[in-house]
Amino acid sequence: MIPASSLAEALGLAAPELILAVSAMLILVGGAFGGRGSSGVASLSAVAALIGAAVAAAWGDQGVAFRGGFIADDMAAFAKAAIYAASAVAVVLGERWLGRAGNAQFEFPVLILIAALGMGMMASAGDLIHLYVGVELHSLALYVLAAFQRDDARSSEAGLKYFVLGALSSGLLLYGASLIYGFAGSVRFDDIARATAALEGEGTGVLFGLVFVICGLAFKVSAAPFHMWTPDVYEGAPLPMVAFFTTAPKMAALVVLARLLYEGFPEAVDQWRQVVLIVALISMAVGAFAGLAQRNLKRLLAYSSISNMGYALLAISAGTAGGIEGLLIFMVLYMVDSLGLFACLIAANRAGRSMENIGDFSGLSRVNMPLAVTVTVLALSIAGIPPMAGFWAKYFFAFQPAIEAGLWGPAAFGLLTGVVAAFYYLRLVKTIWFDPAPGEADVPPLDAKLIAYASAIWAFPVFYVVVSLIEPYAAQAGRSLGLS
Amino acid sequence: MNAFLLEYLPIVIFSGIAIVLGAAFLLAPMVLAPSNPDPEKTSAYECGFNPFEDARLKFDVRFYLVSILFIIFDLEVAFLFPWAVSLMDLPEAAQRFAFWSMMVFLGVLTVGFIYEWKKGALEWE
Amino acid sequence: MSSQAATPARSGSVLTGLLIAAGVLSLVLLLGVAVYFLFSSIPEAFWNSPAGWVAVTTGQILAFVVVLLLSLAFLLYADRKIWAGVQLRKGPNVVGPFGLLQSFADFLKFALKEVVIPAGSDKAVFLLAPFITFLLAFIAWAVIPVAPGWVVSDLNVGILYLFAVSSLGVYGIIMGGWASNSKYAFLGSLRSAAQMVSYEVSIGFVIITVILLAGTMNLSGIVENQRGWFWDWHVFGGGLAGLPLTLVMLPMAVIFFVSFLAETNRPPFDLPEAESELVAGYAVEYGSTPYLLFQIGEYANIVLMCCLYTILFFGGWHPGFPTGAENWPPVLASMFGFGVFAIKTVFVFFLVSIAKAIVPRYRYDQLMRLGWKVFLPTSLVAVIAMAAYRVFGPEIA
Repeated sequence: MIPASSLAEALGLAAPELILAVSAMLILVGGAFGGRGSSGVASLSAVAALIGAAVAAAWGDQGVAFRGGFIADDMAAFAKAAIYAASAVAVVLGERWLGRAGNAQFEFPVLILIAALGMGMMASAGDLIHLYVGVELHSLALYVLAAFQRDDARSSEAGLKYFVLGALSSGLLLYGASLIYGFAGSVRFDDIARATAALEGEGTGVLFGLVFVICGLAFKVSAAPFHMWTPDVYEGAPLPMVAFFTTAPKMAALVVLARLLYEGFPEAVDQWRQVVLIVALISMAVGAFAGLAQRNLKRLLAYSSISNMGYALLAISAGTAGGIEGLLIFMVLYMVDSLGLFACLIAANRAGRSMENIGDFSGLSRVNMPLAVTVTVLALSIAGIPPMAGFWAKYFFAFQPAIEAGLWGPAAFGLLTGVVAAFYYLRLVKTIWFDPAPGEADVPPLDAKLIAYASAIWAFPVFYVVVSLIEPYAAQAGRSLGLS
Repeated sequence: MNAFLLEYLPIVIFSGIAIVLGAAFLLAPMVLAPSNPDPEKTSAYECGFNPFEDARLKFDVRFYLVSILFIIFDLEVAFLFPWAVSLMDLPEAAQRFAFWSMMVFLGVLTVGFIYEWKKGALEWE
Repeated sequence: MSSQAATPARSGSVLTGLLIAAGVLSLVLLLGVAVYFLFSSIPEAFWNSPAGWVAVTTGQILAFVVVLLLSLAFLLYADRKIWAGVQLRKGPNVVGPFGLLQSFADFLKFALKEVVIPAGSDKAVFLLAPFITFLLAFIAWAVIPVAPGWVVSDLNVGILYLFAVSSLGVYGIIMGGWASNSKYAFLGSLRSAAQMVSYEVSIGFVIITVILLAGTMNLSGIVENQRGWFWDWHVFGGGLAGLPLTLVMLPMAVIFFVSFLAETNRPPFDLPEAESELVAGYAVEYGSTPYLLFQIGEYANIVLMCCLYTILFFGGWHPGFPTGAENWPPVLASMFGFGVFAIKTVFVFFLVSIAKAIVPRYRYDQLMRLGWKVFLPTSLVAVIAMAAYRVFGPEIA
């Protein structure tokens, strides 16, 4: 990576972040003067800013800026493009949803922009300081988003729970970061790598710190055993916010975890692999088995995301360029499935109330055929049933690198939990197609319907075309960390 | 002990003297003054009525808002202190850079300030 | 007043006053001689040892505290006299000549009163609150240079220390109001806390402008930066080249003055203890010496702010024209500097008193609006203007 030679060049590398930061502030001031009616314009500008930032990230210059703290490479570009795209979808979903709930406010797109800014920072973090600032920036925005329906007791509760537990995880992260800094003498990932290599087996302290950082980030991606907040927060928070929570922040946290592990501790693969594998295996198991008992779809999807984080961590634990490539593509496919499912939840209402329980979906095929098909396709995809995208995501992109790295056992375990988890998706499908309908469903709102259809079409068959297009970029991103 | 910490020793002694003085003031009436409390005397003042509920009431959320704003701006001031001290010691180019970077920081905070102003966080009717 | 002066009672009190003064003076002289002989018997080596250093420092601090407490007593008396004068009353005039010893009589009265601790109160916190107020008000004085070299601890971050200690001051009031378990006290303490923190921010920004001029956080350094003519004072921009900065610094001086009135809960910003609505605010349940500690703390804070005002804007111990005091014997120069400093500080205190006497009390919403919507933006802009002038403008000597 070429270090930036001047301030202007460094700022050029950070163009996506600058676009987001400046537009967030402009929208905030504009909205403050415009009042409540300005939320539509604010959301439009936010989407434009996100698209602009995604373009800047994908086609911008690459290099290292701010004394190694900020890295713009292929992996960061790939992750940022995906994060910003998911954020843009969340802005659209949320703006319309809040409008229907009578709570359209211009702060919503601003918060998404700030969260996206923080997540972009995480994807580009080259040292522990940038990592922490990114984590905090996006987390604080997410806490507010969870409590956005502030007159709703469940939403406030979700926000508070998220905040308290998130603060705990930030504490873990900071504690670990300070330990690493204390033992390695630097906050920069490449310096940490050099320092740990020189420690030669005496790096227990550094690894101790690393375990704390992994735990803190596992909290953010809701990997077990740090998943306790996830079902409660997902159940209480407004639907479009949850759609956002399940997608972009996980991508960012996983990418930064991968960068920290691969760039900061390349010598200690065997040590951190154990930790990551344990977290991954517990996540898969918890996600699959605890999900079986859920009747509420938001809680069910929470457990689904926990088990999917297990697969993603399995890809990271491979410790190879293929692992990164697998992680990135897996996450993109998972994000599309997840956004689509939540769009379905937003679209499916009966008598003005959201269909939150699995039972509410009974007989959907008889009252709204297109929506029923969409939910089915997405559920099958996320369950990993061929020929949907989720099948390839799981078995080809998450398990393959692990198997290539010799992790047969964990991959087999993942397969097993995948079969268990498939049960609850299939139960949903069965409810939709074979149970009697209790009544008519409401007409789905246009935005949610379109997004749901689009992700279903993506899951099958568009994905086959797209994945071959993005695969080279992901492979390039995987190599950008300097691994074989 | 190094000279830097030695500067703080007089402050420690000073606090010691102030503690002794304050404790002496507090103890003096306990020795000198009479003490015969009765229930009427030790009840809370409420314009002649008996206090009818606990005084630790719910209070206006705006007090909370003010304290949050105070933390933000006081931190801002705390950031400005070291900047203000060292600004004039820098060489020309670095000085300008320091100036503009602080202006960016103040600009971001001003955006927040404008927002809270327009949202009415500073209003007390 | 003039008809009073001729009465026998008045001349009698003058005589008593003179007698008391003579008595005090001879007592001090005797004590001085005794102390001198006591100390001259201690070997020289002791003074150079750490224990000797601690002894000397402790002695200096004790002397400082005694002078401070005496000045507070007389300033409190002056405050009441000025207030009375504006309202065409006599004020305290019974205890001692012209009532000069009123504060001491009050002190004795406080010490002889019963300490009533309300039944529903949190007793430990109830007593701790005035104690903390007193302690914080006192230790802030440790960094105030009253004359060249006359300072308990010449911290290089003196003003930061002051800022920190005065921020803590709000604890005493909140604790007192909460522990009393009385509605008036509780509301008073809430108001007080909100008011103090609101004005703390603008005080911070004003201090930043001064630091930008002086380039140091050391209070002696800030005073030395204003050596020379009165146009070298910070209020006039710290030198002839900085004279345009008067446009910034004069408003800043006004803002600082008003803010420190509000910060110390002085009228016209005495809402926390507004007697007509909250009886006495956070102090309503207090009596005896706990109340006295609150009172001393409050006055110590006010006078401290007067000193700080003098130091930051009006040249500290520099009289405003070159005196050549650097070449005098150090003791003489320090005495002269202390005199100048004391005169300036007392003048600022006079302004504070006059403000109490002639300005009607603010309403709470006006108070908050003034702090957040006028002072905060103004001082923020002033910081920017000052920094820009320092970076892009001419060099200020």
